[in-house]
Amino acid sequence: MSLGGHTRNAEKATLGSKLLDVNWGLVLLLASVAAIGFAMLYSAANGSVSPWASRQMIRFGVGLVAMLVIALVDIRVWLRQAYAIYAVALVLLIAVEVMGVTGMGARRWVDLGAFQLQPSEVMKIALVLALARYFHGIGHEEIGRPLLLIPPLVMVAAPVFLVLRQPDLGTALLIAAVAAVLFFQAGVRWWKFALVALATVIVVPFAWRFGLHDYQRDRVLTFLVPESDPLGAGYHILQSKIALGSGGVFGRGFMQGTQSHLSFLPEQQTDFIFTMLAEELGLLGCLVLVGLYLAILAYGFAISLRARNQFGRLVAIGVTTTFILYVFINIAMVTGLIPVVGVPLPLVSYGGTAMVTLLVGFGLLIGVFVHRDVPIPRRPDQLGA
Amino acid sequence: MSRRENDFELPLFELRARSETADGSTRSEVRWLLTGRGRLQIMSVLFAALFLVIGGRLVHVMLLRQAAEPAVATGQAEPRASERADLVDRNGILLATNLASASLHADAQAIDDPVGAARALVRVLPDLDEDAVRRKLASNKRFVWIKRNLTPRELHGVNVLGIPGLGFEHRQRRVYPLGSLAAHVTGYVDVDNNGIAGIEKSRDDLLTQGRDETLRLTLDARLQHALRDELLAAMERFRAKGAGGVVLDALSGEVLALSSLPDFDPNRAGEASQLALFNQVTLGVYELGSVFKIFNTAMGLDSGVVKLRDRYDATRPIRVARFTIRDDHPKRRWLSVPEIFKYSSNIGSAKLALDVGTAGQRDFMDRLGMLRAAPIELPEVGTPLSPEPWREINTMTVAFGHGLAVSPLQVASGVAAIINGGVLHPPTLIRRDGPRPEGTRVVSARTSEIMRRLMRLVVRDGTGKQASIPGYLIGGKTGTAEKVGGRGYNRRALLSSFVAVFPMTAPRYVVFVLLDEPRGNDATHGFASAGWTAAPTAGRIIARMAPIVGIPVLDEEDRQIRRAMHIGPKDGGTRLASY
Repeated sequence: MSLGGHTRNAEKATLGSKLLDVNWGLVLLLASVAAIGFAMLYSAANGSVSPWASRQMIRFGVGLVAMLVIALVDIRVWLRQAYAIYAVALVLLIAVEVMGVTGMGARRWVDLGAFQLQPSEVMKIALVLALARYFHGIGHEEIGRPLLLIPPLVMVAAPVFLVLRQPDLGTALLIAAVAAVLFFQAGVRWWKFALVALATVIVVPFAWRFGLHDYQRDRVLTFLVPESDPLGAGYHILQSKIALGSGGVFGRGFMQGTQSHLSFLPEQQTDFIFTMLAEELGLLGCLVLVGLYLAILAYGFAISLRARNQFGRLVAIGVTTTFILYVFINIAMVTGLIPVVGVPLPLVSYGGTAMVTLLVGFGLLIGVFVHRDVPIPRRPDQLGA
Repeated sequence: MSRRENDFELPLFELRARSETADGSTRSEVRWLLTGRGRLQIMSVLFAALFLVIGGRLVHVMLLRQAAEPAVATGQAEPRASERADLVDRNGILLATNLASASLHADAQAIDDPVGAARALVRVLPDLDEDAVRRKLASNKRFVWIKRNLTPRELHGVNVLGIPGLGFEHRQRRVYPLGSLAAHVTGYVDVDNNGIAGIEKSRDDLLTQGRDETLRLTLDARLQHALRDELLAAMERFRAKGAGGVVLDALSGEVLALSSLPDFDPNRAGEASQLALFNQVTLGVYELGSVFKIFNTAMGLDSGVVKLRDRYDATRPIRVARFTIRDDHPKRRWLSVPEIFKYSSNIGSAKLALDVGTAGQRDFMDRLGMLRAAPIELPEVGTPLSPEPWREINTMTVAFGHGLAVSPLQVASGVAAIINGGVLHPPTLIRRDGPRPEGTRVVSARTSEIMRRLMRLVVRDGTGKQASIPGYLIGGKTGTAEKVGGRGYNRRALLSSFVAVFPMTAPRYVVFVLLDEPRGNDATHGFASAGWTAAPTAGRIIARMAPIVGIPVLDEEDRQIRRAMHIGPKDGGTRLASY
């Protein structure tokens, strides 16, 4: 291979050598963040592993195994199955639309008998795979042809539309943002992004004025300025800011937070767990956690740089971006920088689907690294079956 | 392994290592590797910026904004610091103060046995309804009030029960130790100790700021009691709907006593009726009738247009348009100015006012403060209703107190100005140290001197005889107005008022009494007019006041006093010279 002595053929690598190749530093980082999550869930339950911390640990354990399995599976399998996975996720999203279970005022779940699944989470990974495969198949010269951008745009628009219908504005925007990043990384020209941005700037005021009913406008406004409704939509964010303010530099101490332990913060084990951490462990605790997240981000980008194939590169960027946007949106939300959208703090917030989704994503990321030098031809039909 | 060391020592170290070895690959591969690398750097910068923002925001929210943010929420939950300054009367007697008290609340989720707990609580707090308490305790709410303001004994009793899930809020409770005595002056506070009426409201800021200072009022609790007591008695005697009274220091404008009946207990203001909460002395405005002849006569004399010896034809009623002005005690002859005052002649007063003219009357009433709300330190102040437009017919009716509705306090304040030497002092309820600011002159000292004699005349010989208390040289003027009801005036529903001044030799106190719809009794031969109801009430009040304020008893037949009160032939009052 052209990259000389460093490359080796992953097809011939044994399972053992693959295991050695797994990026254990990254796994350690993930485990550290998850451990912080366990501690906070333990505190949120007033010093008890039940009901949250224990279940979260089990999920993390299961997710970790799944992650390793996915990492060791040949990356070309995922390339081959990318569209199939995307199709399944899309069908699940449509199923939510048709027969979804309503929870907390929005339909986001589909009941699969044994467990409930949130198809929008599945779609986040599936879309990354599908777009990565599509752009893998297009050469650098071809990317400049506008017609070739229509299929991936449709692939993005369909799930965004379905998720918006649930309604889940936050996830829809997240999916769109990750897709935009993938388009960008695939080499789509700058001016096309400028065009889309311009079109948005022009269309939004008209849509606001003519496309929405009064009550819909009211809802959007309350969403954007929650302080106008301190006992309703604004309640969470006000209490959250109080908790943050009472944390200070060193925090009140583990298990000493007043906002969460006195139940001022409802649902403190899920989306707002960061405020609990801030109150109990202070600014230092927050910065340590953010530092861990950034280290994971650095790993992800480095893996993407190291990948010799476009598919792996894009999958690595997609997974990492999804992850880091979660982090950013969640922290920005609880600190009141952006409106409240239901986005969990990755690996820390209590919740099964999000945890598994993320670990599956990291499985793919590590898989990209393990198979970093596997050559993949541009046309899938040239792949060995 | 050596491969690991070379390939992937540090994640970011890779950035450089790969670009240098990329030249061996195909063109396309190199192109997107280069593009991808450049764009990934852009993304890295972008994410770095995002997280710098996050870090900055965290520092901002967690360290810098600490003070401001909690205030938003605590401002809603925490009641205002409840300490309020005490209110005392001019002699330091407590009118309003604070008592530590505890209010009982419960966390219904922490109550194991709502039925038993409710039963036990009602045993200790018998005025609670057991069903209601049980419902609250079983409500599953995290916070329910059980009872506010427990007495120390009740507090002890609840503590002894030892029911988990109950809690107390300790705070200060506003109490008015003298009950309803000065209810309309002090006003009252709501459950959160915010002043919502009276001085408590108008001086709310002051009372909550200077915590150690007490606010000294001009009231004299002793006079206040005398006034309220006699008004209550009069209300009962004449079966009146209501009564109001005010005692003014004529030299300073200080309100020494102010009472509006029925009144209420400010400790339980929530239970009071609308009628009881209505301050008739300051908030109510009435057409008070003949007491206005004091102002009318003073206006005439002071303007120089009218001389004391002038006479007016009161032989027959005046007809103007559809109105007829007639006298209640018709003499059917020409009357001198003192006679017009003494017999309370509407005809004479109207003609006198016409001599002064509409503009002059309006200007005079304005100077006396009859056209503006009284400048008193209470939120409950009524704005006068004055004629608009002010025509000649209004000039005639205002002369005897119709067509211009003012509050009793305004009248008392105006009378004080007429008889104290001619200087108007705005009425006040707040005691101030140091000399009072100079008032504004409204009539000359000479006019004031004559008005004293005329008012003395009314009590000595005229309609106000029943106000007389031997030895105290009371002067005054009656006013009987028909209340406006339905169309026009109602002859049965009277507002009887009397304004008294004493001692007439050196007037110091103005007492105004108002009875709302008094009814005559056997002792008054069925009369309900002011001379029979309000006048004797004023007399009784003065009889109780005088010893308290230390007014010496005078010999009314003393030559000096007789001379001081004399209205002699040189003033034209020949008919009056005989007394």
